[in-house]
Amino acid sequence: MRYPATLSLFLLVASLSLAGLPPARAGESPRPVAFTPPPDREIPAGPFGDLVRKGEKIFTHTGRYAGKYVGNDLTCESCHLDRGRKPYAAPLWGAYVSYPRFRSKNMKVSRLGERIQGCFRFSMNGTAPPLEGDTIRSIVAYSFWMAKGAPVGTPLDGTGMLRMAPPAHIPDPARGKKVYEARCALCHGADGLGTFSGGEVGFPPVWGPRSYNRGAGLAKVAKLAGFIKMNMPLSKGDSLSDRDAWDVAAYVDSQNRPADPRKKS
Amino acid sequence: MSRSSHSSCFIFLFLSLFLFSFPSNSFAGEIEIEGKQIAHGGNGSPGSIACMECHRLHGGGMPLIGSPRIAGQPRSYIEHEILGVREGTRYAPIMAGVVSHLSRKEIRAVASWYAHVRAPKMPDVSPPDPTLVPLGKRIAQKGLWKKNVPACVLCHGPDGRGIPPHFPYIKGQNKSYLLRQLVAFAFLKRSDDPQGLMRGIARRLSPKERQAVAEYFSSLAPPPADGLPDPKQ
Repeated sequence: MRYPATLSLFLLVASLSLAGLPPARAGESPRPVAFTPPPDREIPAGPFGDLVRKGEKIFTHTGRYAGKYVGNDLTCESCHLDRGRKPYAAPLWGAYVSYPRFRSKNMKVSRLGERIQGCFRFSMNGTAPPLEGDTIRSIVAYSFWMAKGAPVGTPLDGTGMLRMAPPAHIPDPARGKKVYEARCALCHGADGLGTFSGGEVGFPPVWGPRSYNRGAGLAKVAKLAGFIKMNMPLSKGDSLSDRDAWDVAAYVDSQNRPADPRKKS
Repeated sequence: MSRSSHSSCFIFLFLSLFLFSFPSNSFAGEIEIEGKQIAHGGNGSPGSIACMECHRLHGGGMPLIGSPRIAGQPRSYIEHEILGVREGTRYAPIMAGVVSHLSRKEIRAVASWYAHVRAPKMPDVSPPDPTLVPLGKRIAQKGLWKKNVPACVLCHGPDGRGIPPHFPYIKGQNKSYLLRQLVAFAFLKRSDDPQGLMRGIARRLSPKERQAVAEYFSSLAPPPADGLPDPKQ
């Protein structure tokens, strides 16, 4: 009489433990694994640590420490939240182990440094710092340090931005305007031009001459929708519906912003 | 000769009256003067209490009773908070009695007065706690993202000096008030924050973390007014 009970218990335990395992069947892409970047206190003393700390400074105060390459009011941290650490806000640890990679943007295999040059050119509407110069080298060092212990060739949970499922409706900028006014204007301003504190940028402009240009990743509605969905408003990520995220992204990206520098005559 | 010196003396007196009556750089307009009268003596209705009894005439506040400094906060923010107290979205039983007598116009006037004035920092109840300030500084400047708490300065401006018009300054605020507000947000005694942003953040902080944040911001000097950098030394 006890035997079947023991057996079913065994089966239950076995099925539970199987459920906890990643499916690793051939032909399927492996399930993303979680990764936590190291804490700040693990930045080593010495010249490498100095480079990492410099990279962090440039990252969070880009205009102050790499101003000649920046053409607008954004910093790296405007999009890469938590100093480049936050999952689904294109974290540096996820980027570091994803490069070099093939990019359809320019049909080339790019190194991380080249990718960061793109950030300056498009997202910061500026100019690319030299690949072997201090700016790129220190941001790469900061990324390398942050990726310590991250596996290469295995997808990491939270790398890049959220890839949204295709929208059920065509994204509607007019509806997005209402979402923007209700949820975004408080910080970024009804005019989208950001808000300021004593001449310093408080909340970054999301359109207009001081925001990212049309060549930036976030100028693509799908990418912006994924970013908004997981990160906006600050501290309330994943609170907008998918439809709201799509519509507000369509609204923001329908506004004026600097042209794509590749298309300037 | 004597007539001209008499009149220049008069002009001097007249000017100095203006210059020393108002502590900020700009002159007070009509609405600020009306607000000053309310701050000073209430609006004249029976039992009305003056704002200055807790916030002082120039908005320095009273750290001993946890009454906030409000000098130089944005006018629209002060108005919003007075209305919140009146509507019950901010739990403040004493102040609720005071502001229930005020008309909408009087609220705007008194908010204009306190946005206009400047005040030095009042001594706090105790010196900053050195065991808590570093933790508070870390949360304030870098956030506690594993609890989904962004850096305080992202919304409250560099070092907490405010981002007008919606985000008040918190640097140089007294510690009792800061802690009381964080607890009020966490436990729903205060629900006037846009989109519940502060309620969520305050709830996710531990009691020690809330205290550390209050210790850190109270250890700093207040800005001249919301969003303004420290005056150059």
